[in-house]
Amino acid sequence: MTNALDILTLRAGYGAINVLWDVSLSVETGKTTVIVGPNGAGKTTLLRAIMGLVPATAGDIRVDGQSRKAMKTWDRVADGVVMIPEGRMIFPDMTVEDNLMMGAFPPGCRRDWKRNKAMVMDMFPRLAERRGQIAGTLSGGEAQMLAIGRGLMEQPRVCLIDEPSLGLAPVVVDEIFRILARLRAEGLTILLVEQNTSRALKIADHVYLMQSGKVVLSERGDRVDLERLHALYFAHETAA
Amino acid sequence: MLELTLQALFSGLLAGGYYATVAVGLALVFGTMRVINLAHGELVLLAAYVAYAAETNYGVNPVMAIPVALVIVGTASAIVYALLSRINQDREINSLILTFGLGIILTNAILSIWAADIHSTSDPWFQDSMVIADTLFAMNAEVAAFIGGLVLMAGVWWWLNHSWQGRAVRALSSNRAAATLMGVNPRKIEILSFLIAALLATFAGFAIYTGKTVFPALGHVLTVKAFIITVLAGMGSIPGVLIGAIMIGVIESLTVTYLSASLQELAGMILFLVVLFVSPSGLFGGGRALAR
Repeated sequence: MTNALDILTLRAGYGAINVLWDVSLSVETGKTTVIVGPNGAGKTTLLRAIMGLVPATAGDIRVDGQSRKAMKTWDRVADGVVMIPEGRMIFPDMTVEDNLMMGAFPPGCRRDWKRNKAMVMDMFPRLAERRGQIAGTLSGGEAQMLAIGRGLMEQPRVCLIDEPSLGLAPVVVDEIFRILARLRAEGLTILLVEQNTSRALKIADHVYLMQSGKVVLSERGDRVDLERLHALYFAHETAA
Repeated sequence: MLELTLQALFSGLLAGGYYATVAVGLALVFGTMRVINLAHGELVLLAAYVAYAAETNYGVNPVMAIPVALVIVGTASAIVYALLSRINQDREINSLILTFGLGIILTNAILSIWAADIHSTSDPWFQDSMVIADTLFAMNAEVAAFIGGLVLMAGVWWWLNHSWQGRAVRALSSNRAAATLMGVNPRKIEILSFLIAALLATFAGFAIYTGKTVFPALGHVLTVKAFIITVLAGMGSIPGVLIGAIMIGVIESLTVTYLSASLQELAGMILFLVVLFVSPSGLFGGGRALAR
């Protein structure tokens, strides 16, 4: 099996403050890879570094084996590396439909935007009902669906999803995880960062645990023992 | 009395149209870059002087000189952008200082080339008046500028709402990081907004030269007026800017008609302060949404 994404001894951070310390991990094509870890472990920084929003100071980022470290964020997006960011970051003063169309902005995605929009509307009937509504008036769950739909409009080769269940009601969280499970079943390559460990593990093909900017555990999804993971999770937290 | 009032309202409406073409350019640049281009009025002035030079030095009808002016004003606007985009620290305050300085340079360049005299077109067609509905008078140039300005603004509005690049302008002004994650290169969109602002500025400059008078100190007057209109409308929507501009135009015109021409600027300012006092986020407030 080939890897859609390889992170090799990556170092990255904000100015003088280094956050990631030689992080290495791989995302297998067509699989769902999950990163768990406590607050401040560097999960979001890792995703931002993969997108080029945070500069990588050492190591490499490879997409389908090709180094992408020197590429600008927008070129990485055009290349098929898509991020559905934490906090959703939809365009609040644009309509639902215009938000989706922004997802099709990369030139390679424009040709098929109608077909992709129909696919997204089919997956999220609630968005279809609200297509003309200003996105800022959506509920949290609907906004998350919009963020996911917008990401799918970008025709991802690799889809980075950051904390999709954050701040949502339990019943909405169920819905979001059903959608993620469906995307996994359809063969989308996903790198998911999630605090809701038990839920995330159920859809994981591979799991990484991050602590203080390092990968401390790498395990196949079906082999992860939740109790042991939690023990590690908290052991490092108290040790640190 | 009624006729006088109607005439004042009509003149104010026409003036509002050209104020709006100046203000929309300023608002567009503010939307994409969060920067107030204090040299925007000077770009309008530059276009007006290109029209003047074409007419007096080369004997060309001002309308024929529009392509040349577009190139000159577009280049000037691109230079402003190139300098602005090099600012890395304290962008808000430094961009104000930079563009204010560039405005002074442009004004003085114009002053040294064309002196401080007041100019207007010598082409009689522009200054001929037309009569509408038997009572309302306007110069041909004013009506042409109003209609042309509306068409131009409608075009920009359509572009913002229905084109890939225009949508990217709105996305960038809504959430910069998110727009980048949609594959938008912010620099491309920013330069594009400067060029469209230059297009609007060029048109406004020709409108002023043919319908009003130009002099080197006019630049910063226009900048301030455009800024007031943009804030009055609530930083954003093109229809909002148009309504704000017409309000300013009408109140100025009423003041000139019934009070005194020397109170014209004061009346606009008072309207501005009253609106901000009542609704601090502007008439169509809260919205950072371009094109809504």
